Amino acid sequence: MDFLSIDVGTILFTLINTGLIFLAFKLILFKRVDAILEQRQQEVNSTYTKADDALSSASADREKYAKALAGAKDEADEIVKRAERIAQRQGDAIINKARQEAQSAREKASLETEREKAIAWHELQGEISDLAVELAQKIVEKEINKADHERLIDEFLQEIGDEA
Amino acid sequence: MSISDFLRGSPDGIDVTGPKLIASFEIGGITINLTETVVLSWVIIAAVTLLLLWLTSDLKTKDISKKQVLAEWAVTTIYGLVDDTMGKHWRKFAPYIGGLFTFSILGSLISMLGLRSVTADFNVPLTWALITFVLIHGTNIRTHGLGGYLKGYAEPVPVMLPMNILSEISTPVSMSLRHFGNIVSGMVITSLLYFALSVITKKIGIAFCTIGIPAVLSLYFDLFSGFMQAFIFIMLTMVYISNADGNAEA
Repeated sequence: MDFLSIDVGTILFTLINTGLIFLAFKLILFKRVDAILEQRQQEVNSTYTKADDALSSASADREKYAKALAGAKDEADEIVKRAERIAQRQGDAIINKARQEAQSAREKASLETEREKAIAWHELQGEISDLAVELAQKIVEKEINKADHERLIDEFLQEIGDEA
Repeated sequence: MSISDFLRGSPDGIDVTGPKLIASFEIGGITINLTETVVLSWVIIAAVTLLLLWLTSDLKTKDISKKQVLAEWAVTTIYGLVDDTMGKHWRKFAPYIGGLFTFSILGSLISMLGLRSVTADFNVPLTWALITFVLIHGTNIRTHGLGGYLKGYAEPVPVMLPMNILSEISTPVSMSLRHFGNIVSGMVITSLLYFALSVITKKIGIAFCTIGIPAVLSLYFDLFSGFMQAFIFIMLTMVYISNADGNAEA
């Protein structure tokens, strides 16, 4: 062939060849790479959407828990206060009751003492009068001498001692 | 020239010829020549197709392989180039630009394998320039309407008509000749250099000149020039077509 010539055959073949290389680029390289780029873009988008969803749900949860926690604290305070009030009331009641009981016991004890004192006094009075009568009888029955007198006094004292 | 000629020094001068004729047949009275250029183009197409199939096999969205990085880089780079030069609405044009660039660059660089550059056959860049020509005028008619398109030749003043027509015709001529001229001149210079070096080799009897020096020059005349011409060709194609686009954004 000539160094510089226009050849219809070569032009036609080159036209076809250029078309072939265009098709190879379009149908192999661009089609496949476009598809994978598109797919990746979709994956990235969906990942972002998921991440956003997770983030918003996490923050919602956190708010909920914070609220619940605050509520629990209030509730606990309320429970403690109520328990304190109840304990206070019960304690007061117990103390009052104990005080009343002590009071009544004291009163009862003092009443008992009075009565026993009165009984004892009464008995003592009786016995003294008996003794006086007995003594008078003895004095009257016997002639009094010194020895008898002393024995009598001793006996009397002995009796009193025994009585006591 | 054969390898042995380089080493021993070619006995008979050099002869720069066109592509070799491989077969010739007639269809409807027109002689169709199957030349070296066409066969080498097929080799390039086969190689490119296999390369693309390999690059785009087993694509994934995550944990991507190095070849996928390369494939994605190629696609996004071509898209970026087309977007910048022509605008986003011309994106469908990207595969043609990518294919043309690859065809051109490999067609020029095939000379580094000792074969004849496909682009050193004037018919090849001429075909590409004619495609660009058709696309320019097709775009112009499509976006301006036939009336608007024809009116465009009489602007800014009707007397400009012949100049405008000449200017339109000169576009594919200049594009094809620029590409052809650069590649073929590189080929001629390389051939002359090999011849000169082989003559020196023959005179002194040592083959040191033919090793090294051609590689350095080949770096410019084949690699750089081939790349530059491919780039210039696709840039001009994009610029001309987007200039013809009446609906251009910018």
